[in-house]
Amino acid sequence: MLENVLDVTENCRHCLMCRHVCPVGGVTHLETLTPHGWAQLVALERRGLSTWNDETVDMLYRCADCGNCQSHCVSDQALPEAVAAARAAVAEQNLAPAIVYDMEERLRRWENPYESRLPERAGQAAENALFVGDDTRYLRPTVLEAALKLLRATGIEPALIGKGRNSGFLASSLGLPRVAGDLARATLAELKATGARRLFVLSPAHYFALGRMYAERLGCAVPEHVELVDVTAFLAGQMEAGRLRLTPADDTRSYAYVDPTHAVRVHGRSQAPRALVNAVLPEPALELFWRTDRAYPCGNLALSFTQPELSDALTRARLADAVRCGAGGVITEGPGSLAHLERHASAFGLEVRGLYETLADQLVMA
Amino acid sequence: MPACKWFLPAVQYLLPQERSGTEPFEVISQSKHMGSLTPGNSMADMSDTSRYSPGKLFYEMIRSELEEVVGQDYITTRDSDKLIYSSDWFWLPQMVQDRKQPLPTADYIVHPGSPEEISVLMEIANKYRIPVIPWGGGSGTQGGALPIYGGIIVDLKRLNRIVEIDEKSLIVTAQAGINGTQLEWALNERGLTLPHYPASANCATLGGYLAPRGSGTISTKYGKSEDLVLRMQVVLPDGRIMRTPPVPSHASGPDFMGLFLGAEGTMGIITEATMQVDYLPETRLLRALLFESIGAGIEAGRQMMTRRLSPMVIRLYDPNSTASRLKTILGLELRGAYMVVGFDGDKDIAALQEDKAMRICRDLGARDLGREPGERWWKHRYDFYYPPKNLKMPWMYGTTETVSTFDKLEGLWKAQKQAVEEGFSDWNIKYIAHFSHWFHWGSSMYSRFIIEEPPEDAEEAIRLHNRVWNTAVSAALDNGGMINEHHGVGLKLARFMRRQYGDSWPFLVKLKQSIDPNGIMNPGKVGFGR
Repeated sequence: MLENVLDVTENCRHCLMCRHVCPVGGVTHLETLTPHGWAQLVALERRGLSTWNDETVDMLYRCADCGNCQSHCVSDQALPEAVAAARAAVAEQNLAPAIVYDMEERLRRWENPYESRLPERAGQAAENALFVGDDTRYLRPTVLEAALKLLRATGIEPALIGKGRNSGFLASSLGLPRVAGDLARATLAELKATGARRLFVLSPAHYFALGRMYAERLGCAVPEHVELVDVTAFLAGQMEAGRLRLTPADDTRSYAYVDPTHAVRVHGRSQAPRALVNAVLPEPALELFWRTDRAYPCGNLALSFTQPELSDALTRARLADAVRCGAGGVITEGPGSLAHLERHASAFGLEVRGLYETLADQLVMA
Repeated sequence: MPACKWFLPAVQYLLPQERSGTEPFEVISQSKHMGSLTPGNSMADMSDTSRYSPGKLFYEMIRSELEEVVGQDYITTRDSDKLIYSSDWFWLPQMVQDRKQPLPTADYIVHPGSPEEISVLMEIANKYRIPVIPWGGGSGTQGGALPIYGGIIVDLKRLNRIVEIDEKSLIVTAQAGINGTQLEWALNERGLTLPHYPASANCATLGGYLAPRGSGTISTKYGKSEDLVLRMQVVLPDGRIMRTPPVPSHASGPDFMGLFLGAEGTMGIITEATMQVDYLPETRLLRALLFESIGAGIEAGRQMMTRRLSPMVIRLYDPNSTASRLKTILGLELRGAYMVVGFDGDKDIAALQEDKAMRICRDLGARDLGREPGERWWKHRYDFYYPPKNLKMPWMYGTTETVSTFDKLEGLWKAQKQAVEEGFSDWNIKYIAHFSHWFHWGSSMYSRFIIEEPPEDAEEAIRLHNRVWNTAVSAALDNGGMINEHHGVGLKLARFMRRQYGDSWPFLVKLKQSIDPNGIMNPGKVGFGR
């Protein structure tokens, strides 16, 4: 199984066709830190031309696992999965960075990396469920309040699941598939207990984790009878149908819309959040250079634990992009993306607004 | 880990006290080895010693000098980085690694942030006679970026700024390390395009477009990269930073910009270029045709070009390519010579040109396959370069592309095909070709050979590979072709340069020696040696 996943590196190691969209290569300019470089590292280790040591493992852990490479590959080479599998092999041999084992312990014990608290369990059965996650719960709780207000305005009262639990993406990306699998199964068990037939998610990161990663990396999946729904897509549909009314905000600042981390992994999602943003801003949102299907991540990745300086560089690159396009502020919906952008925004003179919070503020109640 | 054997063991860098300072290319024997730097895996060798040798101390001194120029974040001597930078898109290094053998590596990899920094790096390299290897995207197929003598790889990707877009004159000035597709996206935001569409755009840099005189998919209308450049900034081997005149078309002396186009970093490092751009076309009309013979297809292309139609693309596949590659990539099962013709620009002008081209083709017996297969080809034209459809290990392959005049094209194709197929039939060699970059006087021929079961032994594989190349290039030269049209020379074709240039080769060598007296610039490439 592992060998099959790693075989992707044989395809990618001399292919350079996704170089232009790798955010890590974009900020480091180093060949080693590109899809081709990571594929080479794995392939050459398998050939005995390199070994896993502190230096090569450090390089392996610098891949952002953002999915840009795969989403731009015409033959859908699953290099991010191969990198995750290589990290898993490295972690098994006790060669991963020390922080990985600290995170393993935290995730096993608390199911999140942020607080020494267990997730709150879902309390009720419902037709609809909403995955909250650890980032919404601990990094940006206002996202949840706002999203619930908006959903309620359309008549949806979801059961909250995974409130304070990592989706499993962090563990998977760190090379801890067993921990990731446990987290995923805990969330799926909660989902099952609600009996929900529709599962809402607040960000493309959650959409990718529950919608694809569970199946592709962890061997489990959201049941087929449960529809996975991106909240922005749902709200945009409601707005178009006249069931959600919004009024423009009184804000003269120019905002750029930032596609949240992992947006590139959810095909065709870019229009819905833009429709919502443009419904509440007096002027259409500015567009970054790195947008839609080529959007760079905002830094909220496993990198923020293993390579925080690189994660920060990715965050700053997004903000610099916004400054270049003339924005005075940025607006996005991903809770993790918002938290990371906010941490650095003042250095760029930028205001950061949450999309759900802005929409909730501008909601016209029936 | 096996030791690297793919370098010249007699050549070493000189410690300062050993330099006479007079000879342009110094070679010292192993007997003078004082634990100093050895090309190839020098750090790996030295790290085995229990104490610091003079060589290792010296290595660190040079490293500190380089670090002072670019800053500590922009120099690396990590083994993992050296390993990754030891290979480019040339078959040979990929095969060597595939056979589990290490390649020569650079000693230092630097990422300068300005031409001024490169200038100082050149001074250091000259002082110690250390090779300097410019690196853009590492997408060259000829081994032009391989650090075969070790030295300093100068990765230009930090020089990625667009300096100016002049929307009145339709020109863009950008630094040489900018990624091709990223530059194109930036231009597209203004309704513009740099009409150089190489398959490598996603990984190649602007400097890499120019250094080997590359061609792109629509070169037939817009020209090769060298036709699109107006001006360049170059850091010379002695560290001087120079700019060519603001425009290329003048009568104010010789066109010395040409010295750096095709030099692949042997004459200096291109750090900035001003390129002609175009408006994004209002329309692109693509159409596919099928000819009974390659000769009829070539004649159709000749008539289109000599009658001064302006197709953006004429891609004519030979019968082998039509049968194999088009089936693999486009799912088309056809016999004959498949041609895609495209016209772009204003709708009415493109349509008129297409109409005239179709008449030429029909008169030569072509079957019009319609727009859909032509448009499908355009959409999927780069799929050939993605795995698993690309050429890759463990196969042996090479692109023996060439260029010639119309009167020789068909004969050249036949001669090269026959020489390769008959000469290597024991290896079940496959030969495919297409004609893709057309001129008023002729066309390029993009031929390839593929051996699906090459020798397992690396040295045996290299020798077979070189024998195929000798055969293909000889057939090209003997039948009016050049050693290549747009992939550059690099290491792969270096040995053919003397034959290609004949009496004028010594002139080129003299030029090289006067510009780069210490032979630091990308040694071993373009036939210049070290």
